[in-house]
Amino acid sequence: MNKSALELIGVSKLFQKDGESVLAVDAVGLTVKEGELVTFLGPSGCGKTTTLRMVAGFELPTSGRITIKGKDMTNVPVNKRGIGFMFQTYALFPHMSVYNNVAYGLKARGEKDREIKSKVREALRLVGLEKTEHRFPNQLSGGEQQRVALARVIVMEPSLLLMDEPLSNLDAKLRIHMRTEIRKIQQDLGITCLYVTHDQSEALTMADRIVIMNKGRIEQIGTPFEIYSNPQSVFVADFIGQANIIRLKITAVGSDTISVQIPRGGVFTARALRPERLKKQEAIYKVGAEASLIIRPEQIQLGPAPAKEDQFPAIVESAMFVGSHIEYFVKLPNDSVIKALVPYQTGMHIFSAGDDVELSFDVASAVFLPN
Amino acid sequence: MMKRDPALFMALVTVWLSFAVFIFLPFLRLLGATFVVDGKLSLANVKTVLSKAYNVKALYGSLVLATAVSITGTVVGYLFALAVTRTRISKVTKGIIGAVAMLPLISPPFTSSISLTLALGPNGMLLKALGIGDFSIYGFLGTWISETLTYFPVAFMVITAVLNTMSATLDDAALSLGASRWRMFRTLTIPLSLPAIVNSILLLFGASLADFATPLILGGHAFPVLPTEAYLLITGMFDLKGGATMSFLLLVPALLVFFLQRMMLGKKSFVSVTGKSGSRTEFARLPQSLNVVIAVVCLIVVAFIIYLYAIILWGSLVKVWSVNNTPTLEHYRYVFKHGQKAIKDTVLIAIISTVIGSLLAVVIGFMIQRKEFVGRRLLEFSSMLNYALPGTVVGIAYIIAFNTKPLVLTGTLSILVAAYVFRYYATGIRSVIASLEQIDPALEEASLSLGAGTVRTFTHITVPLIIPALISGMRYLFIHCMTAISATIFLVSVRWTLLTTRILESMTELQFSQASAFSIVLIAIVFLADFILKHVLKFTTAHITRSQEISYEQIGA
Repeated sequence: MNKSALELIGVSKLFQKDGESVLAVDAVGLTVKEGELVTFLGPSGCGKTTTLRMVAGFELPTSGRITIKGKDMTNVPVNKRGIGFMFQTYALFPHMSVYNNVAYGLKARGEKDREIKSKVREALRLVGLEKTEHRFPNQLSGGEQQRVALARVIVMEPSLLLMDEPLSNLDAKLRIHMRTEIRKIQQDLGITCLYVTHDQSEALTMADRIVIMNKGRIEQIGTPFEIYSNPQSVFVADFIGQANIIRLKITAVGSDTISVQIPRGGVFTARALRPERLKKQEAIYKVGAEASLIIRPEQIQLGPAPAKEDQFPAIVESAMFVGSHIEYFVKLPNDSVIKALVPYQTGMHIFSAGDDVELSFDVASAVFLPN
Repeated sequence: MMKRDPALFMALVTVWLSFAVFIFLPFLRLLGATFVVDGKLSLANVKTVLSKAYNVKALYGSLVLATAVSITGTVVGYLFALAVTRTRISKVTKGIIGAVAMLPLISPPFTSSISLTLALGPNGMLLKALGIGDFSIYGFLGTWISETLTYFPVAFMVITAVLNTMSATLDDAALSLGASRWRMFRTLTIPLSLPAIVNSILLLFGASLADFATPLILGGHAFPVLPTEAYLLITGMFDLKGGATMSFLLLVPALLVFFLQRMMLGKKSFVSVTGKSGSRTEFARLPQSLNVVIAVVCLIVVAFIIYLYAIILWGSLVKVWSVNNTPTLEHYRYVFKHGQKAIKDTVLIAIISTVIGSLLAVVIGFMIQRKEFVGRRLLEFSSMLNYALPGTVVGIAYIIAFNTKPLVLTGTLSILVAAYVFRYYATGIRSVIASLEQIDPALEEASLSLGAGTVRTFTHITVPLIIPALISGMRYLFIHCMTAISATIFLVSVRWTLLTTRILESMTELQFSQASAFSIVLIAIVFLADFILKHVLKFTTAHITRSQEISYEQIGA
């Protein structure tokens, strides 16, 4: 049987702060497969870094268990876990040369000098820094320091690589370059990796799976595509990408769809997420309750009024030309303001503030979430 | 804890035991000597001391002097700080001002008193030159001038640090909003540097209150202060109880000032470079009239300090000061012949104290900054106690505590070393803590995550990174040990003697030239040691980006 690379079972962390206890991580459960790259994404203070630090062993969980390759590591000290950790600040040892930084762990492990030498050289070659061995961290650029930090962990061949916002100190261009590079090295070496970030584009582009966290709990786990197209909660929909969230009254409930009353319009029917809750006939999905319609700005089209039954009447509040798109803010009769990004085509009609319009979108791209 | 972190447990036991013997025991014995009469709690000693008009005069004198010194020292220090941070004088001139201002800090406490005596005392060189006949330097005025010269550098450093961290764009904003240069100075520069001014006043008040050497030489009978009176009571009248009570009177305001100053530092937000400001503009010019005041004061003070040092050098090279000005080396021959033991003893004691003090500082500083344990705050406070108390108080407490069984240490090397270590290691502890605060805990975590254990992490990562801070802490420790007198004057003996006490003896025997020669030798040793440590420091910081050298401000000297 293929053992999972990492398993978190009901892991919680309670901090004591100024005499109050704060539940930073609340019963987190997760299984990571061998060679997978899983990102932890969430707003600051959501518990993602604390979770990572518990996996590393810097913090001990208040309750729950952590296993790495099937072995219980919950109370094993950091230096015995065989993990690699990359820090936001790189944490390169300033008093050691690049070579000694990379060799540090191998020396602590007591490997032979000859082996250390060839391993360090190989690791530096892998990150493209063969020629910097004798330099010191303060003589390197931010991007180079980042690579040394990467070389320093991969040289240890860790069973698990943990990264805590490793790219957040780089400028935008370098960040995009480094994330492809880290992803490539991770895949080439087949290292299992947990990656904490607050940058959703980083999470979307790098991850095999994304774990969205909020207030210490896991909101959703899924592939980038699943997370983007099938958010399981309003929080996730709002957090990933841009989303318009319109609260509307339910008029009818189908087997996996619901219908709502469009303000000053007809009836709109679309797919409901969390169908299990729909089947259970929970109160939140009953006629008369409010549901949230989630629709992304780039999926909205604007047309002149009047239009068909299932379209939304609205008034243009502002229109802004942003090059590839026209960014509209329009107001529905129930006063909710939503955003639409319409691709610009030569010669197309551009609405201006005060115009009456109709919004339409592909039913497949719109989903309902319970409140 | 013993199971989880046995190293911490052992360290705690050792540290608390040493505190019990060398900090709490003397302190409690001092309180005992003051408040216990015939085995009962009593205020009789305090009443007796306060019933004598001369003692009340000493208390009053101490407070007046400390107030005066803290004000003048801060004003002079502020003007010096403005000169180096807000004027367009050349870098070389700024360097000279800074270097001259540092001189009094690393000189023995007598230096300015001796040279003031040589210049303005009986047969004073400057008096003769100016043709002033009837003038006495002894008393309040001389003590005040001398202490101002000795302590203004502390104000200078504390204020410079703050003036430097202000944002120059604020100046530009004020001027662009139509403020005059005076208005900008009055409404911006002064209010923003107020914390530094208050801090400086407190530091100088405490320093002057504790100063022993200056009033001993320059105060005279007309102007008694508490530390010297306590000393004279004990050495002259063998009145240990009286001396203890006097030193308790000194302890109260000293601790008060110490607490206030700590509170100030605690509240202070460490303004640091954010890297956001883009190009840093220069500070706006000060009003012209203020520039003139700065120039005049700096020039006079710098010239006077150089003059005072020159006079000591000159004094050490003539036969009889002011009577026979034939150049001679006989005083140096005397120093190296009869003062050899004092030189050897002083250097030996200073080296031993510096080494032990530094080791203790690393352990205590590391525990306070990086470890969690019950009583951490109390440990931090206790470690600073001997440092916060005036030297005279500590000296008296030590003779009371270690003169009787079970721990008879008076007259030994250990008592001198202990007095130095537990007083001056405070600078080492502060600098270790300040340096650890700057070291990202991620470095230690990185080491652990790479498989190194806690011991390897401490020896390979933590220690190398705090060594620079430790060395600058050692610099101050060594200088203090070489130049201190207030505590140790009570503890020297025939077996162990110090350069500073020899200087004092020469002064009381009116052997000014000898005193000067001793001072020059002492200054030379301090300079040499400082030079060596500074270069070791440069070597160790070669690859550590941020300079870990710490300022007096961080130490809260």
